[in-house]
Amino acid sequence: MSARCRQTLSWWLIRAQFRSRRAATLLSMLAIALGVALGYAIHLINDAALADFARAMKSVQGDPDAVIAARDSAGSVPLATLNEIARDPAVLVVAAVIETRVRIDNARTPVTLIGLDLFSAAAVMPKLLPRQDPQAATGNILAGGIYASPALLGQLGLRAGATLTLVRGAQQWRTTIAGDLPAARPDELLLVADIAWVQEHFGPADAVSEGRVRLAPDTDLESWRSGLAQRLPAGLLVRAAEDDSARVSNLSRAYRVNLNVLALVALLTGAFLVFATQLTAVAQRSTQFALLGVLGLSPRMRLLQVLLEGLAIGAPGAMLGLALGYALAVAFTHVLGGDLGGGYFSGSAPLIVPALVPALVFLALGCLASLAGACYPAYLNRMQPLAQALKTGFAQGPAAGETARSRLPLLPLLLAPAAFALTQLPPLRELPIGGYAAIALVLVVGIASAPLLTQLVFGWLSERPLPAPQRIALQNVAQAPLMAQVAASGLIVSFALTASMVIMVSSFRVAVDHWLDHVLPAPLYLRSKATPLPQELLAALQQPDAPFARIERMANEALTIDPQRPKVALLVRELERRNPAARLPFTGPLLEPPADMPVVWISEPMAEIYRLAPGQTLQLPLLGRTVEVFIGGVWRDYARQFGAIAISRDDYLQLGGDFQPTDLALWPLPGKETAADAWLAPWSTRYGLEVADSAAIRQLSLSIFDKSFAVTYALEAAAMLIGLFGLAVTLAASVWLRARELATLGALGFDRRMLSRAVMLEGALIAVVGLLIGLACGVAIGAILTHVVNPQAFHWRMSLDIPWTAVLAGALLTLAAAVVASHYAARQATRLPVAQVLASAQ
Amino acid sequence: MLTVTDLAKRHRRARRPLFSALDFSVAAGEIVALVGESGVGKSTLLNCIAGLETADSGSIAIGPQALDIVRLDESARAALRARSIGFVFQAFHVLPTLTVAQNIGVPLLLCGIPTSEHPARTQALLDGVGLAGFGPRWPASLSGGELQRVAIARALVHRPALILADEPTGNLDPRTADEVLALLLERVREQQTSALVVTHSQHVAQCCDRTLTLTPDGLR
Ligand SMILES: Nc1ncnc2c1ncn2[C@@H]1O[C@H](COP(=O)(O)OP(=O)(O)OP(=O)(O)O)[C@@H](O)[C@H]1O
Ligand SMILES: [Mg+2]
Repeated sequence: MSARCRQTLSWWLIRAQFRSRRAATLLSMLAIALGVALGYAIHLINDAALADFARAMKSVQGDPDAVIAARDSAGSVPLATLNEIARDPAVLVVAAVIETRVRIDNARTPVTLIGLDLFSAAAVMPKLLPRQDPQAATGNILAGGIYASPALLGQLGLRAGATLTLVRGAQQWRTTIAGDLPAARPDELLLVADIAWVQEHFGPADAVSEGRVRLAPDTDLESWRSGLAQRLPAGLLVRAAEDDSARVSNLSRAYRVNLNVLALVALLTGAFLVFATQLTAVAQRSTQFALLGVLGLSPRMRLLQVLLEGLAIGAPGAMLGLALGYALAVAFTHVLGGDLGGGYFSGSAPLIVPALVPALVFLALGCLASLAGACYPAYLNRMQPLAQALKTGFAQGPAAGETARSRLPLLPLLLAPAAFALTQLPPLRELPIGGYAAIALVLVVGIASAPLLTQLVFGWLSERPLPAPQRIALQNVAQAPLMAQVAASGLIVSFALTASMVIMVSSFRVAVDHWLDHVLPAPLYLRSKATPLPQELLAALQQPDAPFARIERMANEALTIDPQRPKVALLVRELERRNPAARLPFTGPLLEPPADMPVVWISEPMAEIYRLAPGQTLQLPLLGRTVEVFIGGVWRDYARQFGAIAISRDDYLQLGGDFQPTDLALWPLPGKETAADAWLAPWSTRYGLEVADSAAIRQLSLSIFDKSFAVTYALEAAAMLIGLFGLAVTLAASVWLRARELATLGALGFDRRMLSRAVMLEGALIAVVGLLIGLACGVAIGAILTHVVNPQAFHWRMSLDIPWTAVLAGALLTLAAAVVASHYAARQATRLPVAQVLASAQ
Repeated sequence: MLTVTDLAKRHRRARRPLFSALDFSVAAGEIVALVGESGVGKSTLLNCIAGLETADSGSIAIGPQALDIVRLDESARAALRARSIGFVFQAFHVLPTLTVAQNIGVPLLLCGIPTSEHPARTQALLDGVGLAGFGPRWPASLSGGELQRVAIARALVHRPALILADEPTGNLDPRTADEVLALLLERVREQQTSALVVTHSQHVAQCCDRTLTLTPDGLR
C-alpha cells in the first residue's frame, strides 16, 4: 500500500467521520482550542509584561553594571560611600541618582522625579538625557530647569517655559519646564532635574537614592559585585540587572503557574472530549473497521487511523486556539492590564508580540492532548477481533478485562493515601507541585472508584422489583459498563473541578471578609500616595475643633531583604508593645519581647517566605544599618503577598527613624460623621489625598478579589459544559450501539415513550454516580487548594468553608441538565423507524 | 490457487475440535461450493482461510506464490488479503459513509493503485454488475440486491486470486438471489479467479464446478 493511497483512504475516512458527527467533532475541537488559547494567552501576556517592564527599567535606570541602593525605602546611600567606590580603578563612572515621588500642583497621582548629574548620566542612563527647548527663556538644567517626558507634557497640557510647583509632603519647589526627554518611552510619566537642585528642595543633602555603576570593560562583573557586597555598610546592597528581572518574574510567578494549571485543565478536558468522541466513533464504526480489516487494512493502520482522526480534531483546534489566544491576550491586556487582574504590574497595556517557537510549542501541546485522548480508542480499535466485530459489533475491551475488573477496587484504596502523602510534601521551587499532583491523583481515584459505585448502585437497584423499562435501563448499564464509565468520569472530573473551585474561592472570600473586619477598625481612612502627609494637616488634626474622637497614624516603608525577591512592606503603626492584637489579626501565639529589644510582628507570607517564627530574632535592614529585632508574633495578611513587617511607632522612633505618616485611620466623633467628611474635603483637594470610608474600601477590595477570579469563573462554566456534553455524547453513542436492541423491544410492544424514559433513567443514574463521586472529589480538591496550594503558592492561609447551598444547587442543576441530555440521546435513538433499524444489518 | 493441508481448528473453551485434518484444494479458475449443516464450521473455515481466525495446525497456501496464511503475522495477513482475496458476505457490509464508487475504490487503495486509475476500473465493474451510474450514490439509498452487487464489485475490482463468499445470497429473495449469483459466477469466470462459496442452497451448489460437504467427521 503506497503512501499516496494510504493518505487518500485516511482522508476519505476522516471526511466521512466529520460529516457524520459534526457537533461532537466541532465541540472537541473547541475544547482543545480553549485549552491552547488560554495557555498561549497567559504566556503572551506574561512575556509582554516582562518585556515591557524590562524596557521601562532600562529606560529609567539605564543599563548599569551594578546598582548600589539602600535596603529600606527610608534609607539612602551616603555620597561618601559612592565617592569611595568611585576611587576603585575598575569603576569607570558612578552616577548618583535621586528618585522620589512628587505631585505637580497638587494633582492626585504623584509622578517620579529623577535627579541626576548630567555628565555621569550620559555614560549610564542615556535615555534620561534632557533636551533643552530653544524657546524656553529660563535657565538650563544647571540653573534649576526641569524636563518632562512627552507623555507627561501631553497629560498636563503644558509646554516648555511653563512654571509648575512640585510638592512632596510639606516641601514645595516652584520651577520652570526647560525642555523634554526625547528618549523617554511614550507612556512614561517622568520628570528629570539636576541632582543638586532636587537635593536642595527635597533633601537629604549628603546622600542619594542610588549609585549606578559602569565598570571597565575587562572587569569580571560577578566577582566585583560580590567583593563590593562584602565591603558595603549593612544598610546598603548591590544589585544587578538580573536581580531586577528575577524579582519581577517572582512577583507574578505563582499566579501565572496557577493560571497555567487551569489552562492545562482545559486542555485535559479537551483531551477527554476527544477521548469520548473517538471512543464512541470507534464503537459505532466497529463493523466498518472490521470490514476494512477483512479487505486488508493492516492492524497498524486501524490504530493509526483513529489517532489521525484525533489529530484531525486537535491540529485545527490548536491552530484556532493560537489565534484565539492571541486575541485573548490583546483583549485582556487592554481590559485588565498585564497581570490578568492579579494586580502585580502597573496598569500599562503591554504590546503583544507573538514569537514562532512558543507558538509551535502550544500547537504541539494541543495536538498532543488530542492524540492522548485518541490513544485508548485507537488501541481498542486495533484489538477488535475482526470476525466477531463483523458478526456482533463492538467488543468493549480486550479479553483480559475480567481479571482487571476484580483488581479495580484496590486501586482507589492504594491511591488515596498516596494523594494524602503528596499534600504533606513541602513546596518544590516554591511551587505547590505536591498539591497539584495530589489533585490529579484524587481525580484518578474518583474515576477508578466509579465502577465500584456503579456496581453497588445498579446491583442494589436490580434486586428491587421494577417495571420493565427501568429494568431495561439497568441492564443496559450492566451490558455497556465502558460507556457508562466514560460518561460518569467526564462528569466526575468536571464537577469535581468546578465544585473545588467554588469551595476554594468561597473559603477565600469568607476569610478575606473576616480579615477586612479586623484590619479596618476605623470608619474613615485617609492616605496620600507615596508622599508623606503634610505637617499642616497633622497639626490641624491635633486641634480641639477637629471632629475626631481618635486618630491613628501610620507610615509605609519598604525593605529589601533579598534583592531577587519583591520588597517587604514595613508598616510603622501606633501599636502598643503589650497589645498589638488590638490592631493586627494574629494567627498564633503572641510572645512577650525582651525589654531591651525592639519587637516586630510579621505577616504570614513573611513568615513562610523567609521561614521565620515567633520567638526568633531577625536582622532588619533599617535606616542604613542592621538592627536586631524580636519577632513577637505572626498576623494574617491577604494584601501583601510578599511579606510585611509591623513595628510600633515608639520602637521605630527609638531606633532613630523619622516617622512621616502616609496613612490615617480616623474615628469621627459620634454624630459628627458628615462634619468629619466636610472637614477633610478641602484638605483632600488641596493635597490630592484619598479619603475613603471602610465600607467603600471593603467593597473595592472584594471587587478586586472577584475580578482576579474572573478567569476562574469562566473556566468553571466551560468545564461543566464539557462534562455535560461528554455525558450526552457517550449516552447517545451507547444508545446508538443498542439501537437494534431497542428497536427489537419496540417491535415486541414497548412504546417509544417507555423506551425514552428508560434511557433517561439510565442517564440520570449515571449522572447521580458521577455527581456523588464528583462531589466527594470536589470537597477533597477544594481542601487541597485551600490548605496546600494557596498557602504554598501565595502564602495565604484560610480555613475551609464549603458553600453547601451553592454546591448542592449546582449538583441538582447538573442532574437536570444530564436528564435533558439523555432525553436528547433517547430521542435520537428512538426516532429511527423500528423497521429500518431491524432491517439494516449493521 | 488454494491448497488446504491437514487443517485443524478448535474454538477456545470448546470441548471438541470443530474440524481436524482437512485437506482440499481449489484450482485456478475453479468455483467450489461448500455446504454443510448449520453450526458445522463453514464460516469458521472461511475465516481461517482469510486469516481472520487462526487455525490450530495445518497450512493454507493462497495465490500464485502459495503463501501460507497460517504462518503469517497479522499485518502480513492483512496485506495478503488486500492483494489476493475478495470477500462477499451474507450481510453485504458496504461502508455507509462512503459513496458506492468509493466503496469499490477501497480495495484498489489497499493494493496501492493510485486514484487516477480508479474511475476506469470502478466504471467497468459497475457496468459489469449492472449498476452503471450508481457511482456517486450513498449506500443508504440502495436496495439489498443492489448492495450485494456493490459488494461483488468490491470483491473483484482488484483482481484477487481467490474469492471467498459466505452465503452471498442468503439475505435476498429467490429471484434477486438467482440474478446476483449468476452475476457473481459470471464475473468470477470472466476473471479466471478461484472461488469458494458457502451456501445452503442446492441451486447455488449446482451452479458451481464442484461441491464439498463439511460434516462433523470431515470433508466429503
Ligand atoms: N468465537 C467463537 N467461540 C466459540 N465458539 C464459536 C465461536 N465462533 C463460532 N463458534 C462455534 O463454532 C461452531 C461453528 O460456527 P460457524 O459460524 O462456523 O458455523 P456455520 O457452519 O457457518 O453455520 P451457519 O451455516 O449457521 O452459518 C458453532 O457451533 C459456533 O457455536
Ligand atoms: Mg456461517
